[in-house]
Amino acid sequence: MIEVKELSKTYSIDGQVFRAVDNVSFTVRRGEMVSIIGHSGSGKTTLLSLIGGLTKPASGSVLIEDRAIWSMSDDELSAFRNRKMNFIYQFSSLVPTLTSLENIMLPTAFGDYGEDVAGYARELLALVGLKEKENSYPSHLSGGQQRRIAIARAFINRPDIVLADEPTGDLDEETEAEIISLFTRMNKDAGTTFVVVTHNKDIAALAARRLKMANGAVTEISGG
Amino acid sequence: MKKIKIYNLAVRNLRRKYIRTVVLLLIVAVVTGTLLSATIFISGMKNALRIGTYRLGADVLVVPAQNEAQAKAALLAGEPTSFYMDRSVFEKVAKVDGVKKASPQLFLKPSSFTCCYNVDVFLIAFDPKTDFTISPWLEKNLKKPLTDNEIITGREVPVLVGDTIPFFGTPFTVAGTMEPTGMKFFDQSVFMTMDSAYDMAANSKTKSLQPITLDRDKISAVLVQVQEGMTPERVAIRIEHDIDGVKAIASDEVISTVRRQLAGLLKGILAISAVLWGLALLMMGFAFYMIVNERQRELGLLRAMGAKKGHVFALIISEAVIISITGGVIGMAIGSALLLTFKKLILHSLKLPYLLPSAGVLIELITGAVLFSIITGLLSSLLPAVSASRMEPYEAIRKGE
Repeated sequence: MIEVKELSKTYSIDGQVFRAVDNVSFTVRRGEMVSIIGHSGSGKTTLLSLIGGLTKPASGSVLIEDRAIWSMSDDELSAFRNRKMNFIYQFSSLVPTLTSLENIMLPTAFGDYGEDVAGYARELLALVGLKEKENSYPSHLSGGQQRRIAIARAFINRPDIVLADEPTGDLDEETEAEIISLFTRMNKDAGTTFVVVTHNKDIAALAARRLKMANGAVTEISGG
Repeated sequence: MKKIKIYNLAVRNLRRKYIRTVVLLLIVAVVTGTLLSATIFISGMKNALRIGTYRLGADVLVVPAQNEAQAKAALLAGEPTSFYMDRSVFEKVAKVDGVKKASPQLFLKPSSFTCCYNVDVFLIAFDPKTDFTISPWLEKNLKKPLTDNEIITGREVPVLVGDTIPFFGTPFTVAGTMEPTGMKFFDQSVFMTMDSAYDMAANSKTKSLQPITLDRDKISAVLVQVQEGMTPERVAIRIEHDIDGVKAIASDEVISTVRRQLAGLLKGILAISAVLWGLALLMMGFAFYMIVNERQRELGLLRAMGAKKGHVFALIISEAVIISITGGVIGMAIGSALLLTFKKLILHSLKLPYLLPSAGVLIELITGAVLFSIITGLLSSLLPAVSASRMEPYEAIRKGE
């Protein structure tokens, strides 16, 4: 499903070259849940962005369903992201001018999803337990509620791959448990592939495989 | 609920920062309003000049040399005036080489006009035997010559056909009103035959409290039509050479006087508009640069969701176009309202003719103003939109933190 080959990403800071991702290789099978753990600044978020085609690697390649994503044109890659994958971030990623339902529906504005996407968006809203907040704007939602809306949004395009960066960071235990349950359900029922960057031991424990990242390099610590 | 569209996102974003949006709307409104009202104003002056000079129908106007300024003021600003010269001038002018037709006119300034105290009415008397400027209009519209006690009036004289108005104690019946020309010389004038004018003057001694003295051998001006192949300027020079004490004003000279005034006005308006436009472009460009900068993360997130570069570009451009069109329409409405409100005051101070352009020309000017405001919006947001669309999604999300 996902094949990461000798992937590197460097940044130049004050004339010094910093390797955020250093010659990383691993594969993720279809329907697999992989967690990546590691200290802050170890390169986890950059790795996730490289897999999602949000930033270009210095060297190496990412193949998704045997397609090298960086050989696609920018428009093709955008359409590919829109169809095949979705992201969950560690910060509030909702558009403040849109209601909860509209935020969930937002990715469908950039692809061909037909007119009636609201029905599925409402299902997802119910799934994250915020049915009554359909018309609420982000400013009227708590941090946890906003995160749940963002998680619902990550499934609106029925993605094959979800790339989640600290999806339960700053959340209370109850919300955390709901999110873990949702991930499990989507992984088992819909066969969604998850790559989750986390500090959360419960989420990490859910994953069939666990990778550890340090100084830009990845080592497999379980599964495989 | 239907799918979200780029346009909806743009509208919501503009509503989110409504104070900034209002300021941008005002900037576009001021520039578009200034430009539209200025172009309507100048177009109206040109229109009046074109129709007015056509209506004048004469290539040269011969007046007493000492009354040149008054004659020009009468022609251009319709300022009522009275001056006289000997009728023999008419006979002399008719014989000058290059003159095809010549006809005398009398200009009279009534001291009072009871029905129309707020309008400076100008009395113009023509000779039906030689006239070639008023008579064609009479033949076409009244289908009969003007009788001794009849007058025709310009469009701004507040009377109706059939009304009776006294001038210097003599009552006259309104036989017709002329179409508007934008030139007060026609629009605020009353036309009668020269015989009527002489009789009115003679009767004024017994019928009017303010009698006038006007001998039958006096005229105010001679209107001249030049022969084909001759220029009005050349014939004017010949007239002044052949006849002492007269000034021959070529119609081209009158037009060029106005054109010179218009050109000065146009330069001023263009300079102001250009400065305003430049400032508007800078301010809007800066505003859109700020918009893109403060929404970097949001734009990066949209890209991560699958928005193409074109979607991000369209989003920023849509916001600019919405501001441009809305601001443009507001500006056009306010500009037109101000123009209508202060038209008389401006015209009075400029002393220039004015006739509202035709509906077709107005539609052209309004379309041009709308296009201009859209171009302003597009130009000001082009660079920020291109830069927003080119941002790498991950960098945009990271920098926006």
